Amino acid sequence: METKCIVCGKEIVDRDTIGLNKKLIGKNIVEFYCIECLAVYLDCTVSDLVDKIEEFKEEGCTLFQ
Amino acid sequence: MKHMIYADNAATTKLSKEALSAMMPYLEEEYGNASQPYSFSRTVKKAVKKARETIASCINALPEEIFFTSGGTESDNWALKSIMCSNEDTRGLLTSGIEHHAILKSAESIKKMGIPVSFLPVNAEGIVTPDILEREINNKTKLVSIMLSNNEIGSIQPVKELTGIAHSNGALFHTDAVQAVGHIEVDVISLGVDMLSASAHKFNGPKGVGFLYVRKGSKIAPFLDGGAQEFGMRAGTENVAAIVGMAVALKENITSLEKSTSFILEMENMLLDRLTVSGVDFIRNGAKDNCAPGNISLSFRGLEGEMLLHRLDLKGICVSTGAACDSKNTRISHVLRAIGLDDEYATGTIRISLGKNNTPEEVNKIADAIISIVQ
Repeated sequence: METKCIVCGKEIVDRDTIGLNKKLIGKNIVEFYCIECLAVYLDCTVSDLVDKIEEFKEEGCTLFQ
Repeated sequence: MKHMIYADNAATTKLSKEALSAMMPYLEEEYGNASQPYSFSRTVKKAVKKARETIASCINALPEEIFFTSGGTESDNWALKSIMCSNEDTRGLLTSGIEHHAILKSAESIKKMGIPVSFLPVNAEGIVTPDILEREINNKTKLVSIMLSNNEIGSIQPVKELTGIAHSNGALFHTDAVQAVGHIEVDVISLGVDMLSASAHKFNGPKGVGFLYVRKGSKIAPFLDGGAQEFGMRAGTENVAAIVGMAVALKENITSLEKSTSFILEMENMLLDRLTVSGVDFIRNGAKDNCAPGNISLSFRGLEGEMLLHRLDLKGICVSTGAACDSKNTRISHVLRAIGLDDEYATGTIRISLGKNNTPEEVNKIADAIISIVQ
């Protein structure tokens, strides 16, 4: 699936970023942010989001690689 | 680093500084074993005795009715299993469908042993009304276990009335009061209960310690065999520091209960008012007139509770959710299911639990954050 960030147009190639968008915005969304633009949108740091991805993986969430 | 706002006080609470100070000597110089007869252990022994007396006085019990445990889960397991599995009496257990898993899982274990177990329904406010119990109870009921205050939605059960019904049918009554002790007035004589479970870390005490109240004269089997600690009912060297901390924290909470309750209710109303005025579509779950102060279960239409939890977390706000998602399904909690909450709202449920250490400024920030996420 080819997905582009709705803000900067950057291609989102990893499943983790898609999964994170679904977790933090809504599971039925069809438009996605790249991790940098998602951090801006959510007013947090990219590091915060990377931590979230790791936590979701540890929980065994299948949205992540 | 952003300022963290802790609004998950139903999960655990911050250890009281007074409790910590009281604990320190027993973690350092007063390390004697309370069971030993030499003078070095005298201080420790007296500390355990005093803690038992303090805790008993906080719930209007006798000191010998208080048994120290490792926490609420152990107390619940002990109460249910010792009564239900102790003799040839094959009468059954009645509990509710909204209990904590410490009760529900214990009840399931008891059921697997071939003992009859029934789970009572609740009304839309999460209450086991007296008529619900009246319908199900009979002379084949040995024990009724209904929580005092629900952990997810805060509904306070009519335990006094339920206990009366249990006793008039020849059954014992246990209440899981983990969310209630230290937060609402708990008087075991007035409630009439035979057993009551509590956990220190829910009322600003340390983790890993709690107690089970057992009314004098009630026959209960020992939980752990071994030494003579806890009147021979729960063997194992006492966790003296934790026991002392628990007593100090409970006394502190009880002493300031009226003031804390009023302060917490003010903040609770402030939060609900802010959300209502902003036009956010939400439901507040739980009993309309009788909820544990600060326990605010909110369901937002069409949203996902887990999304809200993580978005709030990114803003430094700690809350819980009543619904967790995976890639395909949303698992709605047994409590939200039991009250019959519409899925459209249930999936978007979070629990904000305010405590005495929260501030009105924090509550305003929580309201701002929710409104910005939801709208």
